[in-house]
Formats: sequence, structure tokens, C-alpha cells
Amino acid sequence: MANANEEYRRWLAEMDAASRRKQQAFLDHIAARLKRPRVTERPDHPFRGAPDFWHAFVWSLDERIERFIEQFRSVGGHAHRLADMEEAARFIADKAREMGARILLRQREPELAALGLEARLPDVAVRVWNDDPEEDWKARAAEADVGVILADYAVAATGSIVTLSAPHKGRSVSLLPAALFAVIPAERMHTRMGEVLARFDEAGRDNLPAGIHFVSGPSRSADIENDLTIGVHGPGIVFALIVG
Amino acid sequence: MSATEAAPGRGTGRAATDAPAAGAAAVDFGTADAAASAPKVSGRPASGQAAAGTASGAGADGARATVKQRAELALNNEFLRKAVRFTTDRLRSGRLEAARVHGNWDEWRERGRQIRRHTIAHLDYYLNQFADNARANGAYVHFADTAEEAVRIVLAIAERKAAKTVVKSKSMVSEELHVNHALEAQGVEALETDLGEYIIQLAGEPPSHIIIPAIHKNREQIAELLSREAGEPLPPDTAVLAGFVRKKLREKFLAADIGMTGCNFAIAETGSIVLFENEGNARMVSTVPKTQITLMGMERIIPTWADLEVMATLLPRSATGQKLTVYLSGISGPRRAGDGDGPEEMHIIIVDNGRSRQLGDPEFQELLHCIRCGACLNVCPVYRQIGGHAYGSTYSGPIGAVLTPALKGNVAEWDDIADASSLCGACYEACPVKIPLHDMLVYLRRRKVEGGRAGKLEAFGMKAYASVMGNARQLRRALKLGKYGQKPLVRDGVIRARIGPLKGWTRYRAFPAIAGEPFRERWANLRQELEREARPMEPDVHERLEAALRRREGGTDRHGERE
Repeated sequence: MANANEEYRRWLAEMDAASRRKQQAFLDHIAARLKRPRVTERPDHPFRGAPDFWHAFVWSLDERIERFIEQFRSVGGHAHRLADMEEAARFIADKAREMGARILLRQREPELAALGLEARLPDVAVRVWNDDPEEDWKARAAEADVGVILADYAVAATGSIVTLSAPHKGRSVSLLPAALFAVIPAERMHTRMGEVLARFDEAGRDNLPAGIHFVSGPSRSADIENDLTIGVHGPGIVFALIVG
Repeated sequence: MSATEAAPGRGTGRAATDAPAAGAAAVDFGTADAAASAPKVSGRPASGQAAAGTASGAGADGARATVKQRAELALNNEFLRKAVRFTTDRLRSGRLEAARVHGNWDEWRERGRQIRRHTIAHLDYYLNQFADNARANGAYVHFADTAEEAVRIVLAIAERKAAKTVVKSKSMVSEELHVNHALEAQGVEALETDLGEYIIQLAGEPPSHIIIPAIHKNREQIAELLSREAGEPLPPDTAVLAGFVRKKLREKFLAADIGMTGCNFAIAETGSIVLFENEGNARMVSTVPKTQITLMGMERIIPTWADLEVMATLLPRSATGQKLTVYLSGISGPRRAGDGDGPEEMHIIIVDNGRSRQLGDPEFQELLHCIRCGACLNVCPVYRQIGGHAYGSTYSGPIGAVLTPALKGNVAEWDDIADASSLCGACYEACPVKIPLHDMLVYLRRRKVEGGRAGKLEAFGMKAYASVMGNARQLRRALKLGKYGQKPLVRDGVIRARIGPLKGWTRYRAFPAIAGEPFRERWANLRQELEREARPMEPDVHERLEAALRRREGGTDRHGERE
């Protein structure tokens, strides 16, 4: 077994070496087709990003929240503005009970721990993402009825929740459960998508997580006779709870 | 799914009723190449056509058919035509509305064009940067000149991994490569996970629409297919059917060895790939299996995340009228140390497969700017009549008519596709990155004529036309001849007889007869009349017209509607 693995590693290394050689020929061919030598210096990119007028576009906090809620509801999601985390905790617990949830999975974030969902939902198995490296967390996410995440950012113009992966923040938590609750601290709400994307450019490759996900409503499809279906693969019920 | 069922009045039911007009388009956007249709069974013209024939219930002889023959099948399939028209209408009006609401649409299009042009002009630099950064993220990057080479790499990985099942999210590049067949030939199950793609894969048929690939199947047929898969009868109810697929594919996602995706955009500066989709299956495929393989057309690059804002503004709105697809994922390499999910190993296969042929060709390089939104299909009067199957290749519609011969390099074989266009330019108007497709279709036709591949009859006809139109006396004589010659054929001012060169036209519509007194002959009198009438307008008439104009301008803002 160990042998097979080593053998596989060797094969991968060979493939990689071959690919690096090939890369030069591949790119030389492109340059040749473009009838010029290879470009090796960063070219001027005068048209980077959105048109100038767009950068000046900004909504007030209240307007951002209002617009987000409007957009999120228009695509079949649920969105509410709540006063504080206590209200959010109560909201999630009430809905989870109403839905008859048996298993709830949340990201391992202090803000979510502070919601005290375990105590509020004594009949629900509340699990915490990746708090035990031995566990099969994908399977745990697949069997969960409800996922709870803390949004890293949100975008008002497109009604998007943005969630970044990390050891304590599984991608599966916002994907596999049938229902999703995203807690969005109001100050993380931006007007334009570009405000959030700019952070990834600033952070640079070294600091990006493996998964960056914009979630803009419940999973949907119109593949059967143009008939809109909600919750095809991802969560069919999505609550965006804006706190503050 | 207990939670879904236990939430009466929320979620499913309610969401379905307040689905927005623009968002009506819940698509499977597919990745990489979000749109453009593809005979799934095979992109080879012959079998694609055969499959289309089966789908429409018409007979098909396996030989390579022409666009005309394939269109014939489609034109005789009333259900397909209606479905295509309904769907394209909806997507088209969704796009117009989304563009209107967003505002400054032409400035966004122009910016999209500038970014695409800049990137393609420096493709070697950005591709190199992307590959280096993707490797630094921990991904394995491969380069494939041809479809065969890309397939070989996929098969080698599957073999080394002893893979039994590959789950796929929609990818046009994978259609180009026919990778499903190759995997199955090696004993690996290759499963499409997009709802519509899954349905037609079960039926063994090609998609008939890019965005809604199973549109030619009605609910009863889908229920029958899925019942067979379920081993029990399922009712023809959308929610039940989708629920079954969700459960069935959920098991597959969790058991699959390899997840395969396409790539809508690749960000050079950080080595990230970006996927747009609505169902969540692309996220599944790139989150759950241990190994991820991403197939990427080599032109998918954009320099930065900032540039992604422009593409994310243009692509969903142009494809379906959505402000953004439900899911937009940026994936930078395999899972990080300590992560509880995400693939352990990630391969990115960068595919040329004919794309580099467009580079440096002043007439066709802009084809590489395409972001695969499908907007040109939805507005194309020809596509709307004949549907995607008739094009007989992976990519259909105006973009397919130009891209197919360009990618394949065997222009001669695809000559007739360039004729399947009215050159009206609607495709250019709709294109979010302003690719002049109608001009390219003219270039293709010119190359066909220059290459001596145009029909002798056509060449003769054109020569005769040029000669007659270039000489006033000859034109007069020809008109006179036509006027008398047509007499036995004209009924109620039109010709319906299916004779001679008119046949192609008169089979479906009437041909206007030559006027008793042609415009040329009336012009002298007309001009005199106009000069006489040039005196000032009666004051009351003038006043009425002015008032009408004021009413129109003062009323609703019609600017957007005109678009």
C-alpha cells in the first residue's frame, strides 16, 4: 500500500516535470501565433476592473441592508434584519424547531458558539465543524438538516453571502444541509461585489483560502419543463440574518 | 430532506411563487463555457444528427447530414420549436431587463471587451502566470494541445486512482473532448450531475437547448425515465422528480472518486478557477470527491479578481437575466492543511484544441473573447427556428457557426453552417463582449468562395446578379422580362409556386411579385411630387404633430424598452 502510494507520487512528479517542459512549448506556440516574442514582463493593464463611474457607487448602511433583503427575497431566499445576536439565536432556534430539524451543523466560530444553540435546542444534535479531526465531516454535513455559518462578507447589489473556507469553516456547511442560516454582521455588508473582490487582490495568492463562495439564494433549477425547482443540490431554504 | 418537508409554506412552496421575473431563468449555467449547445451523445456530426433524429422521432440515416437536413428535422418537430422559442424568449427578455436595470450597459460591454482583448493579446504572459500560481497553490497543471491529449491525461489520472465513478458538473470543454465516452470505455462511470444533463444522459440523448438541455422532454417522459432509475413509479411532479434526483445524486457525490468541472474564468494573479452555477452541483463536485480535475479552455484567463467583477456583471445577466448566479465559487488549489473538506488533489488541464489557430488572425482572434453566455443563440432568428441540434456540433447558434469551423480547422466540412445565418447582427448587439459575429460569418463565406468551395450555380448566379445590377439598361430589361414572365405564377400579388431557384423560399412563405410599375420607373414622378410638397406644413397639422411629440417625450421613459 505504502509502495503503491510512493509509486503514485513518483508518477505525479514525472507528470509535473513533463508539464513544466510542455508549458514553455505551449506558450512559445501562442507567442508565435501572435507573431511576437514571448511577453515576460507584466503588461500594462489600463482597463483593470469595473468602469470608473461604478467605483463611486455606494449605498448607506440602511440602504445596503434594505436592498440586500429585497434582492435576496426576490430569488426565493429569506432575509431579516435583527437587532442583536440574542435575537439571531432565538430566530435560528425557533425556525429549527419549526422545521423539525434533528441535526444542526455550525462553523467553529466564537460568534456562533455564543449563540448557545446547544442549550436552546436540547432535542437537536448540534455539531461543530471539524472539532475532531478523526470524524468524517463530509458525511456529518450530508446528514445535517440545518447548517449555520457566519458570513465573511455580504454584497447588497447582488444579494450575496460570501463565505471563505478554513479549517474551522467547512465548505460543506453552506452546501450539504437542506437548510442554511447565514448570520451577517451588518458592518460586513458592502454595496458592490467589487469591494469584496478587491480584498482578494490585496490579500494576494499566499493568503487566499482554498474556497471562496458567493451564495445568492437557494439552489435552483428550471430543467424540468421550465418549472422552477428550489433546492436541487444545495440548500433549498436559505435564511440571511443581518445583525445590527 | 426532512427539514424541507417540515417547513410548510416556506422554502419550496413560497420560493417558487415569488420567483422573480428576471430570475425565472434558473439555469445550469455550466461551467467553462456556460452555454452553447452540445450534442452530448457525440459532437461528431453524424452521430449527433442520428441522436437528434431519435429525439425528434424522425428517421435519420447515419451519414453526415447538412445543416439543411438537420434543420428539416427540427422544423418538423413542433414541440421542440415551441420549447426553444419559449425558452429563448424568456432568456432574451430577462437579459434586456437585467441590462436595463443595471444601467450603462454599453459601458460595461465595452469594458468587458477591453479586458478580454487585453488578456488574449497577452495570453502567453497571463497563462504562464496562472500556471505558476496554480502550482504554488498546490494544484497540478497540465497542458494539452489536442482533445486526445487532454483525454489521455484524464484517463491516466482515473486509472492511477483506480477510479470507479467520476461526477461531472456541466462543462463545454468536456463536451468538446467527449471525455464521458472515453471514461466509460475504460470502465469508469461518468455521471452528469446538472439536473437537465442528468435527465438527458439517462435518455441517451443530446441536449436541445444550452441552458435548459432537457427542454425537449416533457414532465411525463422525465417521470418515466426517472421511475426506471428509481425502480418504482414516480409521479410527474417537478418537486418529487427533483427530490429524487437530489437524493440519488447525493449518494453519488459522496461515493465518487473524482469530481470533474469546467472553468468559467481563471484568475492569473492568484491561480484560481471560477465557477458560475445555480444548482450547487459544481460546488459538490469541487468539494466532496478526493480528487478534482478541472478542464479549462486556454482562453478562459482574466488577470485579476477586480476583472472578475466585470465578467460577473456581464455573464449571468447575458445568459439568463440574473444579477448573479446562485453560486459563484473561486477555488485556489486543493484543500489547505487542516481543512475538513475540499479535494486533496487538484488537476487543471489547460486545453488548446484548435483555439490557438484563432490567435494572430485579424478576422477571428476575437472569437477567443467569448465568455459562453449563449445570448447570441437566444436572439438568433435562425437558432430560434431550428434549435441547437441542427448545427450538428458542440457549439451551436451564431457563436457555434463561427467557432466550430475555427476550432476544427477543417473549414470545408462546416461550410454550410456559415450559411445558417441571416447576417442581421442581432448576435453582435446581444454579445456582452461585442464580438462581431455577423462580420465573421461574412468572412467565412468569403473564404468559402475564395477557396472555390461555393456551388457553381451560386457563383454563376452571383456573377449574373452583379452584371445585371451594374448596368441600368440590363436591369430595366430584366425587370421587364420578369414582370411578364411571372404572370402565370402570381396570385394576389405574391408567388407561391415552388419552382426553380424560388423553391427554397416559397416552401414556407410567399415571394413578392415584381411590381407593375417598379420604383425605378416611379422615381422621376415621385421626386417631382416631393419637391411640390416641400412647402410649409399647414399650421394646425404642424401643431397636432408637435403635441403628439410632446406627449410621447413627457410620458414614460421608453429608453430601456427600445434596447
